[in-house]
Amino acid sequence: MKAFLKKEWMEMTRTGRLLILVIIFTIFGIMNPAIAKLTPWMMEMLEDSIAQSGLQIGVVTVNALTSWTQFYKNAPMALIVIVLMSSGILTNEYQKGTLVQVVTKGLSRKKIMLSKMIVTYGCWTALYLLYFGITYGYTAYFWGGDEVPHLLFGVFAYWLFGMVVLAVLMAFSAAANSGGQVLLGTGSVMAVLFFANYVPKLQKYLPLQLMNGLQTAVGAMEVKEFYAAMIIAGAVTVGCGMISMVVFDRRAL
Amino acid sequence: MTSVLEISGLKKSFGEKKVLQGVDLTVPEKKVFGFVGRNGAGKTTTMKVTLGLLAADAGEVSVCGETVHYGNTKTNRFIGYLPDVPEYYSFMTAMEYLKFCGEITGLPSNESKGRCEEMLRLVGLADEKHRIKGYSRGMKQRLGIAQALLGRPKLLICDEPTSALDPLGRKEILDVLVAAKEETTILFSTHVLSDVEHICDEMALLNDGKIVMQGSIEEVKSKRRSNAVEIQLEREADAKTLAGTFGGFQVIKPEVLLLKDAAVVSDVLRFMADHDMPFVRMEKQEATLEDVFMEVLKSGSGNGKEGK
Repeated sequence: MKAFLKKEWMEMTRTGRLLILVIIFTIFGIMNPAIAKLTPWMMEMLEDSIAQSGLQIGVVTVNALTSWTQFYKNAPMALIVIVLMSSGILTNEYQKGTLVQVVTKGLSRKKIMLSKMIVTYGCWTALYLLYFGITYGYTAYFWGGDEVPHLLFGVFAYWLFGMVVLAVLMAFSAAANSGGQVLLGTGSVMAVLFFANYVPKLQKYLPLQLMNGLQTAVGAMEVKEFYAAMIIAGAVTVGCGMISMVVFDRRAL
Repeated sequence: MTSVLEISGLKKSFGEKKVLQGVDLTVPEKKVFGFVGRNGAGKTTTMKVTLGLLAADAGEVSVCGETVHYGNTKTNRFIGYLPDVPEYYSFMTAMEYLKFCGEITGLPSNESKGRCEEMLRLVGLADEKHRIKGYSRGMKQRLGIAQALLGRPKLLICDEPTSALDPLGRKEILDVLVAAKEETTILFSTHVLSDVEHICDEMALLNDGKIVMQGSIEEVKSKRRSNAVEIQLEREADAKTLAGTFGGFQVIKPEVLLLKDAAVVSDVLRFMADHDMPFVRMEKQEATLEDVFMEVLKSGSGNGKEGK
């Protein structure tokens, strides 16, 4: 299994996938505090033209919270990038037939699946940490004194949401034949979740709840309102993992 | 003699299409075994079932005495496999790929490097430092053999290793297979009969999802071998007279006769000498594998596609 993980690493670095991801997440990470920092300046620049249209702008104040608001706004984009980049993690290998040799060499399918999961989840975790770290660093530098309540809890909740999405993606990867099918399947599950989210009674149980980390920071929600969704998210992640293993064991390569 | 691979009553269909209809096959140890059949006869399907890559509908396959299961099968540790179109991780070099294979096969790491180099030398890729991305078909095929033999398998399964190669590339592959025979048993599928005649000890012919013939090359040939003698005469009239005088002559062309019963050859010769009948040639008929192949296919249902 170590050999297979090494191969995955080699693939990520030599095909340039890792580099692209690191660059994208770094840019996203820098954008959050940068936009917050630049907002007053941009407003000033635009003041004249806005004034001409009859609008009056008061004093714009930005703080750490503005930066973290951006963090939660950009996080879905970052997650989508990871999903797009991971959609072929197994299907590319099915299409090329490269796993046939690996399986006939005696590497168990469970180990292959486990390696792919480690790579996908590991990628998300590491890049999300990078994204968080950069935003955190700049925010602390610009607005060091500002206290953001429950910051780490909210950030963790969003990470868990990413894990749910990727677990669904892995389950579809085990079953589907192309990256397109994986995206379609994962997208459909998300669409169903968003529809379900319109039912107020369901809201607190859905993994989508985990995207609301900002609400705890501004005091609109309490931490304990996340617990049910967190338990369910954890269960879904583990459940999808098991489904992936079983399906992958039985599929034709 | 122990057998490495045993297949009994193997059936497999894809939808309506019945590809395998009860295949029985035994591959003895330390032989090069030719698995012959026209395109679409079910050779690849049989091999994939053996590797646990396809689920069988019925029947049993065992490798080195252990039953093969679909999906995760432990029997693969005995097998080295070369697919018809091998695909690799193109971002690796040949050496890296072999080392990767060595690690997943469980080759001890101190042995791995030496063994990989040995294999690369065997297939003539030792000096190749480029990534697999730029390899030709023949190079990929040779790397395929190297990776298949790496773990010293008891059974080497090659799916049409020579079909897509030029004559030189083909010879190289055949030479490598002959060299590999010292270490392992080789099951080798093909529709190129001359390859079978060159390197195989035994063969089986698959047609319409069944094994229609199996045995050593000599046995298979002798099934068709007759003592028939072909005589070509100079004059058509003489041919007519001969055919009229002796029974058991088959007229192939007006001046060419086939004598099925070799016992009367001397009588015929005497008759020809007495009647002064000059002939162009006279030869004993040797069956080639191709004849056997054709005859079996013709006597079969013959409703398949045109074979090569």
